[in-house]
Amino acid sequence: MESAKETKHRTTDNIAISYTGVFDNEILSVLAKEIEGTLSSDDKVNKKVFKIFIELAQNISLYSLERDVTSGGDGMGVGTMIIRNFDTYYEFSTGNKTTKENIIPVMEKCDNINSMSREKLREYRRLQRNMPAGQKGGGNIGLIQVALTASNPIEYALVKCEDGNYFYIVSVRINKD
Amino acid sequence: MEDIHIQGSKDVYIQPTVDFEVATGRCSISGESFLEETAKFYSPMVEWIKAYSRFGKNIDFTFSLTYFNTSTSKWILTILAELKKLEGQGVAVNVVWHYHEDDVDMRDDISDYMADTGLKIDLVPFNE
Repeated sequence: MESAKETKHRTTDNIAISYTGVFDNEILSVLAKEIEGTLSSDDKVNKKVFKIFIELAQNISLYSLERDVTSGGDGMGVGTMIIRNFDTYYEFSTGNKTTKENIIPVMEKCDNINSMSREKLREYRRLQRNMPAGQKGGGNIGLIQVALTASNPIEYALVKCEDGNYFYIVSVRINKD
Repeated sequence: MEDIHIQGSKDVYIQPTVDFEVATGRCSISGESFLEETAKFYSPMVEWIKAYSRFGKNIDFTFSLTYFNTSTSKWILTILAELKKLEGQGVAVNVVWHYHEDDVDMRDDISDYMADTGLKIDLVPFNE
């Protein structure tokens, strides 16, 4: 578990785009346009960041513990998205509130994904894709797709909140070359 | 059985353009698909393909999907599996997928779809 100082460093330096709030369709489309159109001059890099954004942002919409219920139903998830710009890569991070019980399987999944070669990841994606949709949105394949798109490991961190729940941060680097 | 025509959008919902024509058997899905609620969007297409063998003897299916999310990817697999079934029912099925020549990920993805469904897909690279 990282310290508050590390979390602050992780979330405040070199910011290109950041957003905190409800992840509804209107906001997703605004952020998507911003990423696709203005992030960098390299269209291929923008597209990669865009694809990763879609997967991770939709995970917040669907699974964040903190919900905005003004639109009715289960509401839309609330969370944070940060894109940081470094010399050789962009770092894309999202964060949302969760419970420890819900997030431990996800962290184990990240470890599993990070241990796999590209070929193994493709096999794993095929396996998951062929399974009947068990949960809303088919989010199970999302993390595999993020790792394949970025060609870099998925990093994660868990910060305990005052209310006993946890803030889950997932980050991935997208190389500029 | 009716044609399906859906205009693509990149506004609030990022959805592809869809054209399925009963009379010609020409079908296409093009653009980008980043929908969250994919079932509502794609299940009528699957039902259309299931019913098609009663109406036509050939189907020319063109994918020009440049980007899609993982939720969409499951529906693409379902569509391709249904096209394979049509082939088994004696319908001449021809599937083409246009992809950007630099998009190695997409090429890999299409190869994986072919391996999973046993359906031949002609890969046509473009470089605009």
